[in-house]
Amino acid sequence: MTRQRASRRRLAIAILMTFAIVGVFVVRLVDIQIVKAADFNTESFDKRAIETPVVAPRGEIVDTNGVVLADSVTRYDITASPRNAGEFNRREDDGSISKVTVLQAVTEIAALTGTTANDLLLAVTADPTSDWAMLVKGVDIETFRAIRDLGIPWIYAQPQQHRTYPAGAVAGNLVGFVGTDGPQNGLEATEDSCLASVDGVSTYERGADGVRLPGSTVTTREAVPGGTLQLTIDRDLQWYVQQAIAEQAVALGAESAMAGVVRVSDGHLMALADYPAVDPNNVNGTDIPFYGSRAFSYMFEPGSIMKAITASMLVNEGAASPTTRVTVPGIWHTPDGARIRDSAPHGDMRWTLTGVLEQSSNVGMSMLGTRLKAGVRYDYLRKYGFGEATPIHFQGEASGILASNWNTQQNYDTTYGQGVSVTFAQMLSAYQAIANGGKQVPLTLVESCTAPDGTVTSTPSTDTEQIITPKAAATTVAMLESVVTGGWLSSQLSIPGYRIAAKTGTAEVALPTGGYGNDFIVSVAGIAPAENPEYVVIVTYVKPHIMKSSAAAAPTFRKIMTQVLKTYRVPPSTKPGPGYPTTW
Amino acid sequence: MSAVAAVQAPRRIGPAETPTRRHLEVALSRGQRKARPRAVYALVTVAGLFAILIAQLLLSIVVSEGAYQISSLQQEQRELARDQQAISEELQVLESPQHLAANAETLGMVSNSSTAYLRLADGAVLGSPVAAKATDGIRQGKDGGPLIPNELLDDVPMTAVAATSAETGDSAGPGAPGALASSGSVASTPQGLPSPITR
Repeated sequence: MTRQRASRRRLAIAILMTFAIVGVFVVRLVDIQIVKAADFNTESFDKRAIETPVVAPRGEIVDTNGVVLADSVTRYDITASPRNAGEFNRREDDGSISKVTVLQAVTEIAALTGTTANDLLLAVTADPTSDWAMLVKGVDIETFRAIRDLGIPWIYAQPQQHRTYPAGAVAGNLVGFVGTDGPQNGLEATEDSCLASVDGVSTYERGADGVRLPGSTVTTREAVPGGTLQLTIDRDLQWYVQQAIAEQAVALGAESAMAGVVRVSDGHLMALADYPAVDPNNVNGTDIPFYGSRAFSYMFEPGSIMKAITASMLVNEGAASPTTRVTVPGIWHTPDGARIRDSAPHGDMRWTLTGVLEQSSNVGMSMLGTRLKAGVRYDYLRKYGFGEATPIHFQGEASGILASNWNTQQNYDTTYGQGVSVTFAQMLSAYQAIANGGKQVPLTLVESCTAPDGTVTSTPSTDTEQIITPKAAATTVAMLESVVTGGWLSSQLSIPGYRIAAKTGTAEVALPTGGYGNDFIVSVAGIAPAENPEYVVIVTYVKPHIMKSSAAAAPTFRKIMTQVLKTYRVPPSTKPGPGYPTTW
Repeated sequence: MSAVAAVQAPRRIGPAETPTRRHLEVALSRGQRKARPRAVYALVTVAGLFAILIAQLLLSIVVSEGAYQISSLQQEQRELARDQQAISEELQVLESPQHLAANAETLGMVSNSSTAYLRLADGAVLGSPVAAKATDGIRQGKDGGPLIPNELLDDVPMTAVAATSAETGDSAGPGAPGALASSGSVASTPQGLPSPITR
């Protein structure tokens, strides 16, 4: 029996010891796995884990057909580690091994990037203890690959986001540009909330040879690419319009020029050109005052193109009809002391309202226009959109100057477009209303913003306003046809096969000191086809040197209008216009 | 201890004791009989463990092999994305209106600003065709530079004349006269104006 007891005791001791050892292990395990787990994890994680930024590209700006106007591309900054810079061995194609010195290496880089080896060598040797030196900024993919193939061990390529504008100066004034500190001008700046992207961060663990450990990738922040901004602009038409006004502006020696094409049915700007044009790829090629779109920011007295607006009020109010007769002197001294003069001297003429428009008589328009009280005309001008920025609210857009109280001279001047200051965009919008049966649709430049997930935002507002009756609008357009069929610029304005309604304007430019100088702003505003208006085109030259009358703008107007009618395949007119009598 | 009891038991039971010494054999208890095949079980278990270990080893080899494959495919994808970007960048610049217009001019083309259409239904000519003048082409600025600049085109050479002659028209051209002139394939409506639908 003693033997049995002994074996039982041995067994008990063995069990106890086993438990004790297991207990020690458990304590240690708990200590490592639970108590100190977090510390150990962070400590080890830093050694294995790599945090990489996930670059999300900025959104594209595209035209109405989806053609890219602004795009994001990757460029590479080539940097060096001067501390590690030195001779290295390179295996040649034939298998031999050659030594490459630092000078040789930078010479090779310089040859590929168009820089000088001297500058690069200076950058590398400036601070030999440094671990970082910038060699070349923003090389493209082709150059990056060529540099990579050099196999220089002490240089590094850092990818950078870069903005490129494939169409160059086409719509450059509208699109704007992105500088080194982010979006700086135009729609790039004002629509940044649509275009901006959010870079993400993902972390992964890697082995000793740099290979990502399977299943270790953790995305800590999702990368969100920017949205696509679609404009109403048609790139090809925009180019044509820009080219047309640039040619003529150079010929005229004009300070600047503007031209716009509006689709009547929805107020979409199919083209809005400024001269001088900005190439967003090289903004330094243009003077700073012309960076933005002067069509929105430049205020000017529009001159006679405003007569169409006054005529539309008269017809709508029933104060005059196309055949209303008026005897027009060359100079009119009004009963209340104002003095109105026509551009060319003439004796008493017997014109109708249509004739006054055709001959662009300031006196005639003052006589007829003042049949409406100043307050009534002011209200109409406000309704047409003068005196406030368009719904586009382009960067730096001006409101124009429309005083609510007119002095005696202004009371007459405003009927023919002096004494009131407008922007080009406002004028486009007013003509859109007349062309669209009196219904004004808000001017639109940005069609939509499409987020990467497909949601469409920032759709333009569609609050329309009926300013004049459709009948009054149609009558106004018909009266304006006389300018093209019978006016002094008839041969330069008419487009064979089409009925065009247009109004010319030669406005005096107010001097900062008061009064008017020798400078003019010449314009042609037109609507086609007159029987069923589809497009509004306005061309304006600011301060031309060579030809200071609307004859300067007429050829460009015809060129652009012809191109618009051809591009959008507007069928030629089949019936002649009403041909209101102009004299009596 | 149960074995001892089992050995002693027959002695008490037997009524008469025979003098002859019988050959005694240890009768195995159930427990002992069961204990015998344990060696087999142990072998199976150990073999199983080894099998699991080897399987795990193979699996992790395969997985890490996959990691290398993923890594090389990702590298390839990056390179292809670079290719794609470089090529589309080049294409976008080549199809810019400035480049197309300048190229057309090199080929001796001028833009005709008159409007005229031929209605296919009855052969009627709408509008009045006017021949373009040689001066209707794109003029340069006073300094000889382009009026509508595009810095990206600075390094892009003009396409050689011979190389372009075989190329077909592009839809981007507003008038697309090339498509109109080519026979047969023009989509048209009997009443409306012929409009090639090329996208």
